[in-house]
Amino acid sequence: MSVSATIILPGDEIPSSTLPQPTNKKKPLTLGPGLRHIPPDTIVTTVAGALATDTKKNAVWVEYNSGRYLPSAGDLVIATVNNSAAENFNCILTPNTPPATLPHLAFEGATRKTRPQLYPNSLVYARIFNAGKESSPELTCVDPSTGKSDGLGPLKGGTVFQISLGMARRLLAGRKGGVIVLEGLSEKVGFEVAIGRNGMLWVDGGNIKTTLVIGKAVQEVDEQALGEKGQKKVVERVLRGL
Amino acid sequence: MGPEVVLSHLHRADGSATYTHNGYCVIGSVNGPIEVLRKDEQPEEATVEVNVRPAAGVGSPKERHLETLLHNTLRSIILTRSIPRTLVQITLQIRSLPEEDSVLGVNTSLTLLPHLLNTSLLALLSASIPLSTILTSVLIAIPSSKNAIPLLSPTAKDLLRAKPLRSLHVFAFSGDRKLLLNESYGSFGYEEWDDACEMAEEVCCKEGGVELSEGMEVEGQQGNLEEWLRQVVKRKVEREQRWRTAD
Repeated sequence: MSVSATIILPGDEIPSSTLPQPTNKKKPLTLGPGLRHIPPDTIVTTVAGALATDTKKNAVWVEYNSGRYLPSAGDLVIATVNNSAAENFNCILTPNTPPATLPHLAFEGATRKTRPQLYPNSLVYARIFNAGKESSPELTCVDPSTGKSDGLGPLKGGTVFQISLGMARRLLAGRKGGVIVLEGLSEKVGFEVAIGRNGMLWVDGGNIKTTLVIGKAVQEVDEQALGEKGQKKVVERVLRGL
Repeated sequence: MGPEVVLSHLHRADGSATYTHNGYCVIGSVNGPIEVLRKDEQPEEATVEVNVRPAAGVGSPKERHLETLLHNTLRSIILTRSIPRTLVQITLQIRSLPEEDSVLGVNTSLTLLPHLLNTSLLALLSASIPLSTILTSVLIAIPSSKNAIPLLSPTAKDLLRAKPLRSLHVFAFSGDRKLLLNESYGSFGYEEWDDACEMAEEVCCKEGGVELSEGMEVEGQQGNLEEWLRQVVKRKVEREQRWRTAD
């Protein structure tokens, strides 16, 4: 991921010289969040942030870490069940937004008789199946092609921690995100985490102390924007306290 | 010297900004896109709600008037069609006014308006609401003495000293140099208005899209508002991306 530090304001036109020069000419240009296309060939920004490009994927987007989570298809989210309707659960992704629907049958091996019983305020790790501005987002807990859950489903036990949207993206990006605090902690303690793109981190450490300590450590890395050295220090301090 | 800004400091709001300039201090917060009341829902557009809260007491017709002006201006720069059936809620709390504000004897909603407009734009940027362009706003006062030069973004003290005033003008420009809002008060001729408008455009918009050279900054001591906005966004990006360089 190459990040050029081009600062952009809404309404700025992206000159074609800053667009990625694709190695494969046939690959169409992909516009990520924060950009809009005005036909025939004008690309205008809609949010303030830094312009980022990827030559391999022929993609361009705006990097920003503020504002509310906007659902987009394919994102992994932690949803809170609000209520159960006739054929689906109504789930909340972010406060004060219209509920997302999660069909009763969108779980691994679910049939009319064996569908999961989820009560209000229970947590579900789900993938956004489709999200458009015309309808409320739809969630699913199975891969439609294989019928397997791939780790998605109801989250039992544990606690949810709020993290910034950028931190959630970094955690899901793997090595590119530069977050090593979880790997460091996992060398000594066992725990489970789930990361939702809607700015939620679910942690289950088996007991309350471990759960809280791990959640707080990630929040600290997020708030203070710690680099690798800083994260190692956090890991050392946390492990000493346990 | 440009206005002072703190961005994204309220942690319960989706976006926020505190703006301090010439003794005026305004806190702006934006929530959105959120669920809209059924009666306000528009099938193809987002609803924009603006609340202005005075420094003391409850809102009066003056605040309602400001809300209407802000609402109409902001709705034209928010890409409401990209987030239909949602609500963008903008709350502006006036924290402090300059002491001289109440004794100015001029239309005080005009002296306040540019600050409210700039604050709401900053809060919208902080909330990453899709916008079609940016907005910058400035106040211009024309004293009644002959051959007096118009005052550009004057402080309340300047206004008191320059009394009696002939007219007050508020201009707001978009990023592509289009006039978005004009509110004028007092008596003035078309030529006077034209001069004031040109003066405001120079401050609000960047010179013809060319990078501002060092010489120009010295020339206009006020600084350029678009340039100032870019600096604010640069600081925001630097803060968001500091993990990349942190060790």
